Amino acid sequence: MSISPIGFTPGFSSLPSMPSVAAPAPGGEGFAGMVTDNLERLQGLHSKSDKLIVKAATGDLTDIHDYMIASSQSSVATELTVAVRNRAVEAFTEVMRMNV
Amino acid sequence: MSMFGALDVAGSGMRATRKWLDAVSDNIANINTASRTDQEAFRSRMIVAQAENYGGAGGIRVVGAAFGNAEGRLVYSPTHALADNEGMVRMPDIDLGDQMTQLMIAQRGYQANISVIERAKDAYQMALQLGRRT
Repeated sequence: MSISPIGFTPGFSSLPSMPSVAAPAPGGEGFAGMVTDNLERLQGLHSKSDKLIVKAATGDLTDIHDYMIASSQSSVATELTVAVRNRAVEAFTEVMRMNV
Repeated sequence: MSMFGALDVAGSGMRATRKWLDAVSDNIANINTASRTDQEAFRSRMIVAQAENYGGAGGIRVVGAAFGNAEGRLVYSPTHALADNEGMVRMPDIDLGDQMTQLMIAQRGYQANISVIERAKDAYQMALQLGRRT
């Protein structure tokens, strides 16, 4: 008696394919991209503030408030970035502590 | 509007009022600057401000300076070194009372913009406190 070999089960072919999770485009959407963009913007604010303090030291600064505004902006932006980073780390540790 | 729109707008207001203060101080400093009758009198400095379009950069911009009349007023001062044969010199046509009023307006404007910056910064920092666990 011959045993027919196990063939392809026809039922499986009709399974709906799972929608794949699209990988976030680099520098674009997604949390990593957002963080990178914001860090770049923060870097810009800090370099602007640095330029103005150099100008103040060399006596080229015509508007004192320009430096004060730039330093306020960079400090608030830094606080914002740190807050976002803390929240992200908090969420990550929360996930890691999850009992599976 | 950028992330810190209020700060930038208030900064432009401070820059405009600072230029106004500069112009007023120039006028007050030169209020007694006499010149010969055949020359121009010191012309008072005025700034020309223009609103930036809201929704774009926003704020205010000083587009240029305007100058008062070169006529001035003729003053009889025969002992003056620059007096002509009739004893007249040309003095700038600047009213000190008017300049002091402008000075006060400019100073208050500067302070008002500083208040805006302080409040905006406080508001941004309060927003960071939002949802923070105590």
